[in-house]
Amino acid sequence: MATFELYRRSTIGMCLTETLDEMVSNGTLSPELAIQVLVQFDKSMTEALENQVKSKVSVKGHLHTYRFCDNVWTFILQDAIFKNEECQETVGMVKIVACDSKLLTQ
Amino acid sequence: MEGQVLEGSQPVDISKHPSGIVPTLQNIVSTVNLDCKLDLKAIALQARNAEYNPKRFAAVIMRIRDPKTTALIFASGKMVCTGAKSEQQSKLAARKYARIIQKLGFPAKFKDFKIQNIVGSCDVKFPIRLEGLAYSHGAFSSYEPELFPGLIYRMKQPKIVLLIFVSGKIVLTGAKVRDETYAAFENIYPVLLSSGKAIMRDSSHNMNINDNNRWGKPEYCNKL
Repeated sequence: MATFELYRRSTIGMCLTETLDEMVSNGTLSPELAIQVLVQFDKSMTEALENQVKSKVSVKGHLHTYRFCDNVWTFILQDAIFKNEECQETVGMVKIVACDSKLLTQ
Repeated sequence: MEGQVLEGSQPVDISKHPSGIVPTLQNIVSTVNLDCKLDLKAIALQARNAEYNPKRFAAVIMRIRDPKTTALIFASGKMVCTGAKSEQQSKLAARKYARIIQKLGFPAKFKDFKIQNIVGSCDVKFPIRLEGLAYSHGAFSSYEPELFPGLIYRMKQPKIVLLIFVSGKIVLTGAKVRDETYAAFENIYPVLLSSGKAIMRDSSHNMNINDNNRWGKPEYCNKL
């Protein structure tokens, strides 16, 4: 199954990558195994977001820039308001990268 | 101000617009040849506000905010610019797109710029009996209310297509220069007056329906 690598740039993904790098460089982990872990991370993130996360967030802001290329949407929003059930927060500039999850099952 | 009436705040040249109504330009479509092969994927990745989905459409769709327009950019270097409200704005927008392509490193030129279509619209402010118009101008009219609520009027001279609605709203399309739009409207206006419903939209108490009834004509016609 193909995976999206976009979650690797999240805080949790960056931490995992750093740890794996460290383990590979001091010889406790083989590079092949490290890559396998990352691929599993991609799968697990997709699955977890699909099945375990129930909360919804709405985003509203001024669309500064958009792009659609290689089936990836990129949006840069200015003064975006993020809202969920409990709280709301305004962010001056935010970049949203979105892929079509239907492409994974094809 | 003799020979002029005020339409909004803009004075109207009555010699050019005897009806006193000037169609508003709503959309200009233009084309230009950038005269160089383009790598659409590179453009989509580098430029802002671009969409490229080759499975659906073989062009990059790019937008700018000023003039608010959309461009279709093809790998051949040909470009279509839509959405501008005037010929000058369309050309300015096309130049801006060409400049964007140049900045991405392509040797873009600006060859054979041409206005391909002008769409205008206006409101005669009285209702129109489309059945009557379809009957009296059968050779030019196509009116199929079950398919489309407007009457499609294919004028021969100038060669302009008009969409005429019961409400008195008119859309004129097919012009290459704005004077064709204006001429087409001036041609159709007297026809509309004679097909106008017997009542003015705001004199609903008068239910008398007669052709060429003075109530069928807008107030200012009596003054002309």
